[in-house]
Amino acid sequence: MKRSFKDDFSLMAMLLIPIGVAINIVGFQLTNVLRLPIFLDTIGTILVGVIAGPWVALLAGLITNLINAIFNPVYLPYALTSMAIGVGAGLLSKYGFFKSVPKTIISGLVITLIAVVVSAPITVLVFGGATGNTSSLITATFLASGQELWTAVFSSSFIVEIADKVVSVLIVFFIVKGMSDRYLSKLKYGHLYMKRRSRQ
Amino acid sequence: MKPNALLQLHPMTKFYFALFILAAVLIIPGYLFAFSLFFGLMAIAFMAGVFKEFMEIVLKALLSVLIIVFLMQIFFFPGEQVLWQWWIFEIKQEGIYYGLILTSRILAIGSAFVLFFRMTEVRDFVKSLEDKGMPPMGAYVVLSTLQIIPEMRRQANTIMEAQKTRGVETEGSLFVRAKAFIPTLTPLILSSIAGTEERALTLESRAFSAPVQKTSLHKLTKSRADRILPVVLVFIIIALVVWRFFLWQQT
Repeated sequence: MKRSFKDDFSLMAMLLIPIGVAINIVGFQLTNVLRLPIFLDTIGTILVGVIAGPWVALLAGLITNLINAIFNPVYLPYALTSMAIGVGAGLLSKYGFFKSVPKTIISGLVITLIAVVVSAPITVLVFGGATGNTSSLITATFLASGQELWTAVFSSSFIVEIADKVVSVLIVFFIVKGMSDRYLSKLKYGHLYMKRRSRQ
Repeated sequence: MKPNALLQLHPMTKFYFALFILAAVLIIPGYLFAFSLFFGLMAIAFMAGVFKEFMEIVLKALLSVLIIVFLMQIFFFPGEQVLWQWWIFEIKQEGIYYGLILTSRILAIGSAFVLFFRMTEVRDFVKSLEDKGMPPMGAYVVLSTLQIIPEMRRQANTIMEAQKTRGVETEGSLFVRAKAFIPTLTPLILSSIAGTEERALTLESRAFSAPVQKTSLHKLTKSRADRILPVVLVFIIIALVVWRFFLWQQT
């Protein structure tokens, strides 16, 4: 069955967006409460991408950053990163990259690359290389050791993102595993993750 | 209480003003204009009666970023004129200049958006976007997100307390704390997702996706200022672009 662009935005998919955004924001707060060194603030976006497709996840990423920007405008330019992560997760899911743990880890690496490639230019062009999170310190260390600005920002954000994104995709993998077939059947890519194989 | 004229403006007018600040800051060279713009924004915040919240958020969200961005530039921006040197650190004239430009821009643009959200209810902004042609579904998604976040935060606390009761450790080494993350987040997500099915049924029973023109109880009106101000702002931006173009040709 061919699906049109508009069919992606079914009512169930749209209702998933607020949940996805809230997971992003609450997940990030949980990492603060538990004092974990990673952010885990894209779990919701990735989850939406995996089960509802890239375009719905793009919207979820955008809304996450807009809502965060209400209280901290620094998040605003990084909306592009969130949107790219959502699209990436959706496309990976389309080609079955969230079906097993090893494949999920590969998707985590791909999403890390997407996040770094999109966010590093923003960090350099908008903020001159640092925004004050964990990676700023690493960037400064690289710069002090004589590296170029772009290389320093790329490598430091890669170091920080890789742990974050691989853990995030694994969490998404286990959450999708825990979802009921009844629910999954109502979403675009849900049929990929149903326990009872549907007849193709 | 006397209604505040600035707060009474149409959300779109305020939004155009924030975009206007963004464009003006990027067009006009140097850091003095952008810094003085910040004082202008402070004055507007004061007149609109949101000065305290405005300053609170600017200090909390932007100050640390500005300091780090500035330090980064003065130490690591490539330049020739070294002003001060210690071990591997060098402060350069060009770095200070670039740092000031960057921080002034971040401050002006960032605080313009902070001010926008202090002066505008999200509900009104979303409604005005809907009037502009955004699908009602989009408006619903944004508003329900804002409602779901505090609800989910409460639920996360409840789940964490419950997991503590059954012996999940939330204090201790990094590994112990990390292990507490999964048994909190997974039930939270699965239960919220279970709720969406009910929400879909409720919305459908109220003809949410019926293909008709929707009526709304929440109405926004445009005053004369709302019709004039956007036009004025566009003219100023055009004038600035022209001025900048001639300035650039002269040099």
